[in-house]
Amino acid sequence: MSSLSMLIRNENMKIYRRPRTWVMIAFLILTVALLSGMMKWDEREDNQPNWEQNLTQENAHIQKQLVEIKDLNPDHKAYLTEQIKLNEYYLEHDINPNDLQLWDYVNNSASLTILVTLLTVIIAADMIAAEFSWGTIKLLLVGPASRTKILVSKYVATMGFALLLLLICFAAAFAAGGILEGFSGVNQPYLSIDADNVVQESSMIVHALQKYGFAIVSLILYVMMAFMISAAFRSSSMAIAFSLLFMLVGTTLTALLSEYSWVKYLLFANIDLTQYLAGASPIRPDMTLSFSIMMLIGYYLVFQFVAWLLFTKRDVAA
Amino acid sequence: MTTEAVLQLRNLTKKIGTRTIVNDLTFDIPAGEVFGFLGPNGAGKTTTIRMIVGLISMTKGEAIIKGVSVRNHFELAMTHVGAIVENPEMYKFLTGYQNLIHFARRHSGITKERINEVINMLGLQNRIHEKVKRYSLGMRQRLGVAQAILHRPSLLILDEPTNGLDPAGIRELRDYLRRLTREEGISVIVSSHLLSEMELMCDRVAIIQGGKLVDIRSLQETRDTAQTKIIIEADDIPAAQTLLVSMFDSSRVSVSGNQLELMADKTAIPSIAKLLVTAEIEIYGIHAVQKSLEEQFLEITGGEMVV
Repeated sequence: MSSLSMLIRNENMKIYRRPRTWVMIAFLILTVALLSGMMKWDEREDNQPNWEQNLTQENAHIQKQLVEIKDLNPDHKAYLTEQIKLNEYYLEHDINPNDLQLWDYVNNSASLTILVTLLTVIIAADMIAAEFSWGTIKLLLVGPASRTKILVSKYVATMGFALLLLLICFAAAFAAGGILEGFSGVNQPYLSIDADNVVQESSMIVHALQKYGFAIVSLILYVMMAFMISAAFRSSSMAIAFSLLFMLVGTTLTALLSEYSWVKYLLFANIDLTQYLAGASPIRPDMTLSFSIMMLIGYYLVFQFVAWLLFTKRDVAA
Repeated sequence: MTTEAVLQLRNLTKKIGTRTIVNDLTFDIPAGEVFGFLGPNGAGKTTTIRMIVGLISMTKGEAIIKGVSVRNHFELAMTHVGAIVENPEMYKFLTGYQNLIHFARRHSGITKERINEVINMLGLQNRIHEKVKRYSLGMRQRLGVAQAILHRPSLLILDEPTNGLDPAGIRELRDYLRRLTREEGISVIVSSHLLSEMELMCDRVAIIQGGKLVDIRSLQETRDTAQTKIIIEADDIPAAQTLLVSMFDSSRVSVSGNQLELMADKTAIPSIAKLLVTAEIEIYGIHAVQKSLEEQFLEITGGEMVV
């Protein structure tokens, strides 16, 4: 009988022995490098030497706004007062906020998790359907491993690939930041305003991981969807095409249909949890964070179940 | 040869919708045999084999491999099975060796030495580290056999193994199978619609038609008991015919073209020759032809063979 760890090693071998996988990884690293380069170039363009003067001016402007505009949105008001606090902190500690530091590159790279998601979706959509395309599915299934075990090994290997891409993305951004700005910036703190209106310094790595965290939620759901589609199709190109189509069109379609109340039950309406962060508003006003989390868990479980059903119950003829 | 059955089929049935593809198959396959599934296309051979290895679900009945039910203990039952299902499709982007590692990992206790032993046995050692996409079909077939026997299975299942192979490849495969049954004591189940191939490979065949078992027969027995056809070529056929009818029953003699055909045992040949020679009929040739499996098969299935 097969052990699960051996089956996972097999799946890993089938992922990493294909040149395609390494092209993807190279592409990701190249994109991080490109993004970092553009950030650096952009900084040189608009970094003014008289930044202290600008910050003082900005604060004066905000003060004026706070006094003059009477019916100011309370959220916005809180944001502006926090901005003043931060700017004062910058001036006091002689920190130029426009001066890029190592962690700015890492925080920015969190936006590239969409690329990580895309690449993992391609791998996931290929995972089961390719065995049918290659004709290897028969030899794979005729062995001392149950179909459930094979499915689990394939899912674990897919998520392992996602994790690897995330690590590479993070590490590449960290390296780019270090090379462009010096690694001394590692100890730079993350500044935030606590409940008592005092500027707090906290660990930057925690903040960066939070930024990644939100993106990982949508990654898990999209990859699960692609994996299910892969179990449904017998051709890997079809599975990849449909997974990418749903992923790319889903959110746009949801935004277009947002006037209908049933839209909130769609996966794509719930998949972006950043819509509940301060300063953003959800697609439907009646949606809450806990509602979205419940919906996402529900979708995840349904996708898992359908993938399992399709993979284990089907006859492999032809 | 032991009498213990390697594979037992019990009322094995497959229905898709209202169509019954395999209907109530019950028989045993004893250890140490090359056993063939024979039948016209669409008779249910492949479906039966795929039910045995779990690729297709069973509607009813059971397949029991070495006493282990495939339905209830799939993983355990499969440890006894090696399979080559149609053309052995391998991972083309991996080398032959990596493919073998892939299949070896599924079983516990396959050592590197065993893998190398199998590679040498099949004569793959020179190109084992090349990518499979550069292999010829014959090489892939050999790799397919290697993959199937790595874990020393008791039962080897081959589904249409000769599809797409050239005559040399078919012959090679046949030789491997003979060696395997002899040296490793493996029982083999083969399905094919190539009758001549089955005739050379198998000890016994089950003839399946319309999803039902029609007959199981031993090919050795068939060879021994089969009536021989004696074909006589001579210059004066009508005269020869009259002579032969006087010696044998007239229903056993027939003319086809320039030849006389006679249903008789080959021990009759000397007396036939003597008879014709004394009548001064010029003989160009007398030879005995055994009824081929194909002819017998057509007899049994009523000529509905579709190849």
